Amino acid sequence: MDPNHPFYFLLNPDQAAHSLFYILHQTLCGALAAAGFGVLFNIGFRSLPWCAASGALALAVRTYCQGLGWNLEASSFAAALTVGAAVQVLRARTDISQNALDVVGCIPMVPGSFAAKAILALFALTSTATGDASDTLITAVQYTLRVTFTIGAIGTGLAIPTLLLRVRVTR
Amino acid sequence: MDTLENLIPEDSGSAPALEPVAMVALDAGRMLMEAGANATSIDELVAKFARGLGADRVDLRIGYASLAITIGIHENGITRMREVGHLGVNQRVDQELRHLANRVSQQEFSTEQARAELTRIAAKTPRHSTWVMGIAVGLACAAFGRLLKVDWLGTGPVFLAAMIGQLVRRELLTRQVNVFICATLVSLLSSAIGGLGAHWAGSMEIKTAMIASILLLVPGVPSVNAQSDILDGHPTLGSARAVTVAVILIFVAVGLWLGQVLLVKAFGI
Repeated sequence: MDPNHPFYFLLNPDQAAHSLFYILHQTLCGALAAAGFGVLFNIGFRSLPWCAASGALALAVRTYCQGLGWNLEASSFAAALTVGAAVQVLRARTDISQNALDVVGCIPMVPGSFAAKAILALFALTSTATGDASDTLITAVQYTLRVTFTIGAIGTGLAIPTLLLRVRVTR
Repeated sequence: MDTLENLIPEDSGSAPALEPVAMVALDAGRMLMEAGANATSIDELVAKFARGLGADRVDLRIGYASLAITIGIHENGITRMREVGHLGVNQRVDQELRHLANRVSQQEFSTEQARAELTRIAAKTPRHSTWVMGIAVGLACAAFGRLLKVDWLGTGPVFLAAMIGQLVRRELLTRQVNVFICATLVSLLSSAIGGLGAHWAGSMEIKTAMIASILLLVPGVPSVNAQSDILDGHPTLGSARAVTVAVILIFVAVGLWLGQVLLVKAFGI
């Protein structure tokens, strides 16, 4: 298919990584994933659009930052920071807990696939021939570090606006 | 030296009884924790309940499996502990509890009325139907699949595998199956269906489709809560949550590994 075709990104997301269509695709998938998990978390139907908006914002920012050449961890941090700040600003308008909206929005960014790959690589390490063991170990460590740093980036990005703007209960 | 009797002030009878106030506040905190809230939210909610019901002083200790509260009214004080059950996620219960806490903090409720409201929330808060949840989770995992670059041919099988996985998970949890065993079983089932379906559909991303099919099992809320709890000054609870997340991920990965072995041995994929 012609790379300039408007639907080229749908079949070849890799090669259209920086296009507007690609960002739109990622945003829609983020919205759908967040809304789906919103249902799983028993959020009411009326509040689901807020969940979808939260997930869409997270994926749009992350994809845009990755398009600028940022790595996954930095992009996830920027996205989580944006979602955390947006939720703080909109908290009065939504009838849903701030914590839930934060988490649901960032769920599509939780690197579950990296976590699974990291553990599978560790399993493989026990049955790998000696010559391949170092490669397998490096793969496992790389995935583990990416999971750790990405979850850390998401958690920190969400926490900063909350910690800055929250008013604590007086004891 | 004072005798023991002199150290324990007498109850004047004019203040609310300590025991019911402590237990209602603890129950509210337990329900919120079981609904997936982080430590700070629980702390704030319990303080609202206790103060709204007449307590002057409130101190809460939040553990992974229990809550302990000390409340004081005038010169009197009491410490009570409450066990916490399985930590799930239920936003409607969370929402209802927060609304109730706001009303209790305005002193609109007596202790008995607050307890009755908590019972009503526990019994009457609706959940989405099993099928709605299954379809929503299927769509979410299919979207995850696209984010992980699964091709369109593999997206349908991911939807189906995740939906079936969610239906089975709900059934297993209803039957009180251990959550870790449940994670392995659902992971095995969903990854096998996802991989097999993607293969039959002609997808080039079979392994990624298998991973996308099990993303419903990734404990996203506890992993984010773990970190926010540590940042909020609850490192013990945060660490316990992080360890639980790690163990769940191991059990999920075991299921995925078994699924991969099954597909290789039985179908040569």
